[in-house]
Amino acid sequence: MRPLLKLVAAVMLTSLAVGTANGQESGYSREGADTCLSCHEEPLTFALFRGAHAVPTDPDGPFGHGQLQCEACHGPGGEHSARVRRGEERPQISVHFGADTLTSVADRNAVCLDCHSADIGFGWHGNGHDLNDVACADCHTSHAARDPVLMTATQPEVCFDCHQEQRAAMLKPYAHPVRQGKMACSDCHSTHGDTSEWQFAQQTLNQTCFDCHAEKRGPYLWEHAPVAEDCSTCHESHGSNHPGMLTMRAPMLCQSCHSQEGHPSIPADGDGLPSGMPSQFMLGQNCMNCHTQPHGSNHPSGSRLMR
Amino acid sequence: MRWNYILITAAATVLLAPAPATAQVDTSEWKCEYCPFEDGYRADYEAGGSYVSEDAARFGNGTGLDEKGAYADVGGEGRYVSNGSEFHWYAEDLGLDSRVFALGFGKAGRYDINLGYRELPYRRFGDTQTVYSGNSEILNLPPGWVAAGTTGGMTQLSSSLAPRNIETDRQILDFGVGVAATSSLSFYADYRRQQREATGIMAGSGFTNATYLPRPVDDYTDTMDLGAKFSLGDLSLNLAYYGSFYRNELESLTWDNPFTPLPGADQGRLALEPENDFQQVSVSGVYRARSFDTIVAFSFASGRGEQNASLLPYTINPILVTSPLPATSLDAEVDTSNYALTVTSRPLDKLSLRVAYRYDERDNNTPIYSWTRVITDSFLSGTTEQNTPYSFERGRLNLSGTYRLFDTVTISGGYDRTDYDRDFQEVASQTEDAGWGKLRLRPNRNVDVTVKGGASRREVDAYDTDVGLTFGQNPLMRKYNLAHRNRQFAELRVSASLTETPVSIAASYLWAEDDYSKSDLGLIEGSDDRFTVDFSWAATESASIYVTAGSEVIESVQIGSETFAAPVWQADHEDEFVFYGGGFTVAGMDDKLDLTFDYTRSEGETDISYSGMAVSATPLPDLESTMDALRMTLRYSLSERFDLNLGARYERFKAEDWALQDVAPDTVPSLLTMGANPYDYDVWVFSIGFRYSVGADSES
Repeated sequence: MRPLLKLVAAVMLTSLAVGTANGQESGYSREGADTCLSCHEEPLTFALFRGAHAVPTDPDGPFGHGQLQCEACHGPGGEHSARVRRGEERPQISVHFGADTLTSVADRNAVCLDCHSADIGFGWHGNGHDLNDVACADCHTSHAARDPVLMTATQPEVCFDCHQEQRAAMLKPYAHPVRQGKMACSDCHSTHGDTSEWQFAQQTLNQTCFDCHAEKRGPYLWEHAPVAEDCSTCHESHGSNHPGMLTMRAPMLCQSCHSQEGHPSIPADGDGLPSGMPSQFMLGQNCMNCHTQPHGSNHPSGSRLMR
Repeated sequence: MRWNYILITAAATVLLAPAPATAQVDTSEWKCEYCPFEDGYRADYEAGGSYVSEDAARFGNGTGLDEKGAYADVGGEGRYVSNGSEFHWYAEDLGLDSRVFALGFGKAGRYDINLGYRELPYRRFGDTQTVYSGNSEILNLPPGWVAAGTTGGMTQLSSSLAPRNIETDRQILDFGVGVAATSSLSFYADYRRQQREATGIMAGSGFTNATYLPRPVDDYTDTMDLGAKFSLGDLSLNLAYYGSFYRNELESLTWDNPFTPLPGADQGRLALEPENDFQQVSVSGVYRARSFDTIVAFSFASGRGEQNASLLPYTINPILVTSPLPATSLDAEVDTSNYALTVTSRPLDKLSLRVAYRYDERDNNTPIYSWTRVITDSFLSGTTEQNTPYSFERGRLNLSGTYRLFDTVTISGGYDRTDYDRDFQEVASQTEDAGWGKLRLRPNRNVDVTVKGGASRREVDAYDTDVGLTFGQNPLMRKYNLAHRNRQFAELRVSASLTETPVSIAASYLWAEDDYSKSDLGLIEGSDDRFTVDFSWAATESASIYVTAGSEVIESVQIGSETFAAPVWQADHEDEFVFYGGGFTVAGMDDKLDLTFDYTRSEGETDISYSGMAVSATPLPDLESTMDALRMTLRYSLSERFDLNLGARYERFKAEDWALQDVAPDTVPSLLTMGANPYDYDVWVFSIGFRYSVGADSES
């Protein structure tokens, strides 16, 4: 066994030596950010210095003491900043985040994750964004005083750039106040990923809804089964044509599950309108005119959700 | 010995391992002399006013601009930076009911402290009326009220009605602290209080009639998030605590009965939302294994919900003699378990695999008692029934793989399985299997086409109709969330851009169809078609134009029976939604002028038609809504520090809704409503404001 142990040790130490040799980084610019800023005078570049990435007293930040400044994110810029012959195209920076980038999504994201892996939680890898090759820079603007995706009023438009169906739903007559800029997608969704099915901010859909609608959480004495299990059985959270963001107009929604003999099951046709015989079962809040507690009742006489 | 040998060698390897690249690059000459690091104070102050042309409750949702008239507004943001420490503030719409204010202080990479406050107005109806006075737990009729068997006989009704808007003000206070103890260990603590003050609509039911009540809302929820994040090499962990505590200042709602009461039922009382707590601890993390680029993410959360509010008596009818309550409070308790494990791996350069399993459980341990209900405070039910604390377990398995056939073609496929086990419901065990495939084409870096399709089948072991029989449910009914279901779905997404001519277009089409083929009553079919398209063109470096449009059609078919028998009627639903819009942005024209213009029109229409009845149904009119929303802004730079902001906003909304149309308080003989009307408004908002900037680099 001993020769084998020696072999293991040799391999490990050899890899150490090789690693050290490879670690002698070269290809960086001569003067760091000063090299970059001598050409990149556009406002977008300088906007970086209004944000969190350009704080010289942050020891772990790109501009902290001994850090690599612009090249901390953009990679070695020696070749990019070197002189090029007339007619020759300047090589792209090692890690380019612009629209015409040649850098792969994985390589771009690796730069961000190198520092932010703890910030983004544990669900990035394998979540919908990761699997669909979404780059961090597709959503985030690091060269800005305020990243639009971190602001409630401006975040939805960033998300809607890809999630067009959700933008459409938010225009429906009954929707959360996202269109008004007072609610953000991240109020409900963990955009960096989570192990919950739709990347909810909480563990489940219901726990996410109850974060703001805790009055519906119970547990009630008399529960309405779908409320305890899945709010989306009755509600469409991105927007609906129907009041209360219901998935279907009541009383028909209720009749999709309840068919007791008598009034619950009468078809709600035009006879029940004010022009006919105005019906308590279809006008106003229809079923909820009497069954006023669809989310549950804590009244000892509330088994029919009427108290 | 030999293990010691290996351990020592391994330790040497780790300790002597090459340091990160930062240590290898000589940055001693990197002076950063051209770097304009922020130092000092910089701020933008905004002040102005708006004029709203019309009262419109719905327009006030989220905006606070629900009443006609003038509004003053103040906002802005500022930042003070010194020696790496930062203080910042942000203010938005301070003069409105939608105000936002935030303060923050911190040092990058060390700590941050944040305080925020915002209000969120919800304006439901601005034209409602009520005969009830007060905004407390007891709602009284006016003196001299004459009760009647129907609303038509309530002689004091019209003279007693007084306006009462239905609206909610939600106030949200946040306080958060984050501390980075080391580069690999940080702590956070967030506290949030959401407080609601509101008047809502809630019906109070009598035996054969009901009354709309202007119910007061006075409650708050305290939420706490505490946690620690820790990284050790390839392992990251997050230990967290979540607590949510709901408190309601109002226990019940009592109202005078405006209808001729049954003996003793002069008043009714219902329970309002009970106070409750939910607390959860969790540990989650990710481990990055070097082999095959494998990532293991996991989450384990355990929570408990409790509710022990005092129970109201069966009735407030003094004539009725009821048995004692089995308990004075419920001592309700729900335990939740949420476990998840996801493994992603890339065994081959072209192949990635994902395995995910998630388990969610709601274990309701609330005691079960026997109750003898009083029906609408009017008479004893004469029967005993038990509460049914619902529990469920849900397991979800997802297997998927992606293989890059060529540089431009990727194929994916997956299998998903969902298992449910439930208590006290018609279906005790339910399984859904789904399979899907996806093809992604990227012929070049400017074109991306994705086609996806799949199918699923949901099976139930048995549908126990005896559960519903207790409540008189027709045994042919199959609840759609429990029933057997076949689902097919497909989607197509296309995006393309031209970098030389900065034009981009993105379109999507989604289709899904559900078939509840084993249901005789209830929902038997459903489908959803969605289409969207976006087009944008960056005409110049400072000007861009966009056009967007989309549609959605949701169709469903349900079967009903008025009697305890076979299907009698069929209702066909068609929900349509169409929107289109466009706009442009011009920024920095002559370095002085910014312009934006946005317009959106959206139309919703719901058609419900009946068939199959012995006597033809009287058709229902369509439910319709139309919204036109237009917004224009202009910013003109008067000087380096002084901007003029002008804005105009228009919104027209008109709804046709048979549930509200022509329903006055006394329209329905057995229902005293508050007379809300369908939304119908045209609102213009004109605004003027100024922005003044201070600070060294405020000119940009």
